[in-house]
Amino acid sequence: MALWVDKYRPRELTKLDYHKEQAEDLRNLCKQTDFPHLMFYGPSGSGKKTRIMCLLREMYGAGVERLRNENMSFTTTSGRKIEVMTVSSNYHLELNPSDAGIYDRTVVIDLIKQVAQTQQIDITGQREFKVIVISEGDELTKDAQHALRRTMEKYVATCRIILSVNSTSRIIPAIRSRCLGVRISAPTEAEITTILQNTCKREGLSLPNELAKRVALKSERNLRRALLMLEASKVQQYPFTAQQEIPQLDWQSFLHETANQILSEQTPAKLEKIRERLYELLAQGVPPNLIFRGLVQQLVCNCDMSLKANTLKFAALYEHRMQNGAKHIFHLEAFVAQFMNIYKQFVSELIMTDDF
Amino acid sequence: MDQYPDENEEFELQYQDELEMLDDLPSDQQHVEYGPTTSKQAAAQRAAQEQKLQLQQVDKGGRAPLLDQSQLSNSTLHSPQLSQITFGHSQAEPEGNGAPVNRRLFGTPKGPPQRGCSTPFQRMLPIKEVVQEVAMETEPLLNAAATQLQEVGLRKSSKRRLERDLFGDIDDLYPDESYEDPMAKKARTEEQRDNEAIERILELRRKMRETSKTVRQDEVTRLKALHEFKMRNLSYEIPTWPFLAVQRSDLERLYVRFHSEDYETRQLELLSARGFRHGSMCGSLLGEAKQQVWQEANELVLQRMAPATQLPVAAAPAAASGAETEGLWVDKYKPRKYIDLLSDEMTNRSLLYWLKMWDKVVFGKEFHSKQEQTDAAGGGGGGGGGAGNQQLNSFNKRTGKFESNGGWRQRKPRQALNTNVDELGRPMQKVALLCGPPGLGKTTLAHTIARHAGYNVREINASDDRTPEAFKLALENGTQMSSVLNVDRRPNCIILDEIDGAPRQSIEYLVKFVNDGIYSKAKAKGAKAVHNVLKRPIICICNDIYDPALRALRQMAFVVRFPPLDSARLAERLLKIARRERLQTDFGSLIALADKSGNDVRSCISSMQFFSAQQQSLSLQDVLNNNLGQKDRSQGLFDIWGAIFRIQRPKKQLQQRNKTEEEEAQVTMTDMSVATRVRNVLDVVHSGGDYERLTQGVYENYLQQKMPDPNFNGVCEAMQWFCFSDALQNQISRQQNYTVYPYLQYGFVVWHLLFATLAWPKIAFPTRGFEFNQKSTNQRNIFQAFRKSITTAAQGIGQGSVLLMDTVPLVRRIISPQLRSVAVQLLSQKEQYDLRHTIQVMVDLGLTFVQVKSVEGHYVFQTEPDLDALSAFPGFPGITLPYFSRQLIAREVDLERIRRAAPKSNDFDPIAPTTTSSQPATKKTSPHLPNHLRTLKPKQISATNAPKQQLTKDFFGRVQHKSTASSKIEEAKTDAIVKSPIWYRYKEGFNNAVRKDVHLHELL
Repeated sequence: MALWVDKYRPRELTKLDYHKEQAEDLRNLCKQTDFPHLMFYGPSGSGKKTRIMCLLREMYGAGVERLRNENMSFTTTSGRKIEVMTVSSNYHLELNPSDAGIYDRTVVIDLIKQVAQTQQIDITGQREFKVIVISEGDELTKDAQHALRRTMEKYVATCRIILSVNSTSRIIPAIRSRCLGVRISAPTEAEITTILQNTCKREGLSLPNELAKRVALKSERNLRRALLMLEASKVQQYPFTAQQEIPQLDWQSFLHETANQILSEQTPAKLEKIRERLYELLAQGVPPNLIFRGLVQQLVCNCDMSLKANTLKFAALYEHRMQNGAKHIFHLEAFVAQFMNIYKQFVSELIMTDDF
Repeated sequence: MDQYPDENEEFELQYQDELEMLDDLPSDQQHVEYGPTTSKQAAAQRAAQEQKLQLQQVDKGGRAPLLDQSQLSNSTLHSPQLSQITFGHSQAEPEGNGAPVNRRLFGTPKGPPQRGCSTPFQRMLPIKEVVQEVAMETEPLLNAAATQLQEVGLRKSSKRRLERDLFGDIDDLYPDESYEDPMAKKARTEEQRDNEAIERILELRRKMRETSKTVRQDEVTRLKALHEFKMRNLSYEIPTWPFLAVQRSDLERLYVRFHSEDYETRQLELLSARGFRHGSMCGSLLGEAKQQVWQEANELVLQRMAPATQLPVAAAPAAASGAETEGLWVDKYKPRKYIDLLSDEMTNRSLLYWLKMWDKVVFGKEFHSKQEQTDAAGGGGGGGGGAGNQQLNSFNKRTGKFESNGGWRQRKPRQALNTNVDELGRPMQKVALLCGPPGLGKTTLAHTIARHAGYNVREINASDDRTPEAFKLALENGTQMSSVLNVDRRPNCIILDEIDGAPRQSIEYLVKFVNDGIYSKAKAKGAKAVHNVLKRPIICICNDIYDPALRALRQMAFVVRFPPLDSARLAERLLKIARRERLQTDFGSLIALADKSGNDVRSCISSMQFFSAQQQSLSLQDVLNNNLGQKDRSQGLFDIWGAIFRIQRPKKQLQQRNKTEEEEAQVTMTDMSVATRVRNVLDVVHSGGDYERLTQGVYENYLQQKMPDPNFNGVCEAMQWFCFSDALQNQISRQQNYTVYPYLQYGFVVWHLLFATLAWPKIAFPTRGFEFNQKSTNQRNIFQAFRKSITTAAQGIGQGSVLLMDTVPLVRRIISPQLRSVAVQLLSQKEQYDLRHTIQVMVDLGLTFVQVKSVEGHYVFQTEPDLDALSAFPGFPGITLPYFSRQLIAREVDLERIRRAAPKSNDFDPIAPTTTSSQPATKKTSPHLPNHLRTLKPKQISATNAPKQQLTKDFFGRVQHKSTASSKIEEAKTDAIVKSPIWYRYKEGFNNAVRKDVHLHELL
């Protein structure tokens, strides 16, 4: 519990910093004997997991915080062995099916079903059902989601499923309709600033309000990122100054640099250099949609309105195509080439109109 | 008459060697030689005409040795008188005809081109003429063309020219055929310009040369016939036989002989018999036999004339192609002797040499090493195999002959043949492995050579059962047994054809077998296993030598790689076949055919047969315009990429226009229209197949190509296609939806049209995709390791990509505090705090620093799992702590780990166990017992308790507990020891005599 994100994480619904009415609603939900399947959705760093843990604590008491790591291994039908890491307490089981990649269907069938089928023998438990927390639920493949929907219905007596997803758009409607959706919106910058201040107070540090605001802005309303950034800045330089450098995410800087290079020169040779950089980003595991987003955000800064629209149009087009393909580099490069094309045309037109 | 055979015999004796050589020639070549044979016959005919009347003149001994004759004729030729002989005008007509006829008959093929006499065309026609003339004894019925030719020759000839016409044969006196009179040459060049008839000759000859190559003359026959002819038909003095006097331009008289009709007919029958039997039945030409022979001859003459009139160009006699015409040409013209082999001479010889190395084991004949053989090359033939049987002798004789006319050994070292022999006299490499592309004649070579070396061939090929059991049986039978029923008791030579398709176990067995690793078990008498020793050569044949199944075999075998055939050599052979089959063709088109098929002999011959079945000719256009004989050769990846990025330069090509027009074959440029290019690219890509790799190659190379594309329109277009093919690939691989597979290839067309240039493209092998895959796999593994190491204490750092994107880069900073390199105690408060914080975080996340040796050779501390590599971008150097800091942190992290792992309860007291000392420590293992007691205990149990309990059982098996005095003493002792924190106990051979309990928390 050394990282501030862990150390000062609220453990109870009553101690949450923001979305307090929603927290109250969740408490009321727990007070009844039963509650439906839940789906927490919202951007990362908004506190979905925190609320889920608070909810579980509300239901089962402090026992849920006695966690243990477990590695479960499965054998797929094709004979491949996959390992899934789970974190569990006596009352709940948390897993990330995306560990299994395209074999997550096996996980759903084997593990979730098995847990769901098991009756609670321990009468002392507060509830007669166990909770399965599926984090990154939107990473579930369609197959796995379809495997899940029947399980959710059939074993509703013994098991509740809490999904934590970023966007409901990738959850099939069947599951969406089976769950009570709880939207966790990202904290506002003001809220983040307050939380940062509180944290520093509890740490015994003094944080200039200016810096707190800058961190909050930089974190893009991602509380986790904000806290980690603050902590990293603290390691870099303590007594805080208002204008001190806030640590960057390397991949973001790299991406910005790439976008600037695209704007600086539009030649095949440049395109090849850009390709190298894109390869680098992909190899580091940066998700291609993040790359798309980062590029577009940086590129449109230097464009006028028509060009912006065009850029977004093409970004959407290639991002969509990328979902149908497997080699992301092609689509990224296609977008870059397309942007270079329209940007070059735009610039040359600009020069021509200037001439006349 | 009776002297004639004698002369013939003498001739044979004298030229025996040559005749033998002739016999050794391939069978088809013999057929080819029929042209000359005909001329020989004709010449002999003439000779025979003279013979009857000349009997009294020539000496009665009838020896008329040829050598003398040739000397004689040489002298006559050089005599000035003879050179002045000329023809009369009208009266000399018959002779005038005769002489050029003969001249042409024996004219050399190497004659100057403007001279009609040396071309096959003009040589052949007169043959027919002679035959006619002689047979009918009428005024010569001349073929129109021939007449014309002769007239041309006569009319325009100068005096010297006439001489040449008369004695043109002098060239033939020189066996090397290289002689050429410079004067004559000059004269000819003078004629050249004014004579339109000669132009026509040239025209005719050109056509002739296209369709058939000149046939090698049989010099000996020619020589012989010439002498006879000259000696008997011409004279400077008034002869005793009827004659016609002729006066030459220099007033020298020449007497030309006359013959009666009767005589001529007799001579004809005699000749026709002799011509075909090479004088073997010369004595029996009287009575019934004569009649028979006469008929035969007539038939033959007719037979020969018929095709000759129809098809003047294909002069090769049809005699041979009787019953054989049905079979496949490939079988028909399969080489049957060693000399017939078409494959590379070095290859043949090295394999033969290897096979000969087996002679010692197989035939019991001493094998001469290279050096010895060279010494004994001449006479080693019959000498070696005295002990052997008849078969062996003949075999030896053949090899002896082969060795003597070789002279090849000095040329080159042969490929990788180990010439040493093992203790049994076998070659070190006991298996020969022939490899090469199909159609080069590997199987044929193996069979031919094995037969040549005197073996009985046993072939096992892919059509046979090649399971290990069947293989074993075949191998054992082949090597250890020989056929009993067969009259021909040759030793076996096993040929394993198409071995690359055999199951791996079979090949393994073969390897073991060859290495003498197989012991057959003698079942019945319990005798020792009999060691099977391989005593027969084994030849394996494969196409792909690098087949993984063949690896073991390859290492121990004598590998003979088949070089591709020389297309000229192949075309030459094809030409021979074409001539035998009377297929009109020329050398150029055959070379084209050979090239097109990739010098595949089999496919060439098959194609030729196909053409001959269709029509009687094979022209260059046929070869170029047909897809026949073209192999589906796979191209390398680079060739395919090259084809995509390069516009083929227009090539010269023969194109067939309408044949009715005068320009029947026209050299045009291949059209490089878009349609052609598209078709080319599609073809090439088709042959390549592996679209994914091809796409990757295009992707990584297209930006290097020169493109006139300033606005990126082409690149965008290309990228669209990349995306499209990626989507298709994904569709195929994910859903096995192969219906979209055909669309994959069209991307290549677009890329070709967009980026192809005329310049030679620089293409690099696509490695980037592979590197990318490697790197991302590596990163993923590090990340997985990191995730696994995270403890439950750190749950708030996110999961999946969030963890990687947000947490990792920041955590790297958090765990990199700036510490001065001083002792921990001297650190400032902030540093102390940072250090403690870092350690906590690292333990939470399961991180540590480990010492590794870097590539430069010095030690560095590296995070484990390697977070430094996880989020490192070029140009963004990560925060790397100095060695000291990391060392410090690593140590502290380890301590913290241990601290956390230690039991939480601090109430542990080392003295505590003593309170329970009332219980005997030896009986119960209490968890609170100090270390020393636990180690001591087991011995005591076995020493005291266990035997005692056995002893104290009562009658009913009930255990009676008795506490003995000894145990009491032990207890007391233990108590005394336990009571003090430090104790001493002497124990021989142990070094743990002095002990103290130290707890972890005291050390930390």
